[in-house]
Amino acid sequence: MKISEIMTTSAVTITSDKSVSHAAEQMKEYSTNYLVVVDHGELMGIVTSRHVGSAHPNRIVADAMDEPPMRMAPERNIWDAHRLLHEGEGELLLVMNQEEWVGVVTKEAIQMKLAEFLDPLTGLYRAPYILDIGEKWLEEKKPFHLMFIDVNDFGLINKQYGHPFGDDVIRSFSSLLSSLMEEDSDHVCRYAGDEFILLTTGSEEKAQRWMEAIIQPAEIYKVTVSAAVGHIDGFREPDFFAKTLRDHIAKASLLSTDAKKKKTSLAP
Amino acid sequence: MIGDHNVSSRKATLTLKISEFEVPPMQDMLIIGRKAPIGPEAARRMAEALSPEQFTLMKMDHPKIEAVLLRNSLLQMIDEKLLMNIILEEAERMISDSMVLRSELKIAMSVQREVDLL
Repeated sequence: MKISEIMTTSAVTITSDKSVSHAAEQMKEYSTNYLVVVDHGELMGIVTSRHVGSAHPNRIVADAMDEPPMRMAPERNIWDAHRLLHEGEGELLLVMNQEEWVGVVTKEAIQMKLAEFLDPLTGLYRAPYILDIGEKWLEEKKPFHLMFIDVNDFGLINKQYGHPFGDDVIRSFSSLLSSLMEEDSDHVCRYAGDEFILLTTGSEEKAQRWMEAIIQPAEIYKVTVSAAVGHIDGFREPDFFAKTLRDHIAKASLLSTDAKKKKTSLAP
Repeated sequence: MIGDHNVSSRKATLTLKISEFEVPPMQDMLIIGRKAPIGPEAARRMAEALSPEQFTLMKMDHPKIEAVLLRNSLLQMIDEKLLMNIILEEAERMISDSMVLRSELKIAMSVQREVDLL
């Protein structure tokens, strides 16, 4: 999902020598929360309602705006934009095609879009998130570990203990997987039903640590639940970059099925 | 009794003071508070318009002081770090974050040497 798909291409502009009070009036008049600051055709920054609220009204816009504003190319994905805004504590970023300003993306627009990809049961992102990241890494020739995680006997759990308990199992696994995420290079999604995918560009040790934590049987309301993992090591896998992410997921899924044969059986 | 109608008068006193206008209207430096009505960039532009290339703006990582605008010639005479330490130490005693302080800073050098007599 590229940010060019959610950006606003028209924005109200102001020059940096105008007063903050004038900026506030402009925002009110055009019903907007931000103005793009442009001097003699050159992009200078962004002034937002937050800046206007915290700066003295007599100050000039140059003394209240974000400088330099956060920038991103239109082909970058919305998760990158989300991360950048989160790290920089910004409210919006400028979309730049080389040196040409082509649009603006607000934090609100990004959050609304990302909410469409959130799984309501677990709060994790759904499959498109991991597909987007994995495909980007393959394109960049960046090796990574892919883990396909499948809860053992999930159908049986639902049948034996009921669907609300099954939901508890899914939530419990989601919490475990989320707790493993340490860095920007770690990502997790609920792929489908009782299947999850983890990606990391981290070390072999980290991948091993994750697998040990995941296959460790957990007790949920006195029921022991376990999971199987199919692991693709992008640092060692032959022709890793010649294959698609879909190929890797399919293989990891088959590996997790093989691992199920050695599973810890469901025990009350 | 004064007559049938009142008499009144108004007078104004005009005081005129004339002095030289300094360009720019500051001396050697401005110390700008974080919430001051004139921000660092506006002060820099003012100084640049009236005295091109004579002042340098230094942004501060300080809870009350956002920046110091300083005459370049001072920086040629004394180390920047040393000077800024002195300025901040003295200014932070009296500045609030909504103030802009104007300051005069003169550097005088005193030299005493011993030389051999002929």
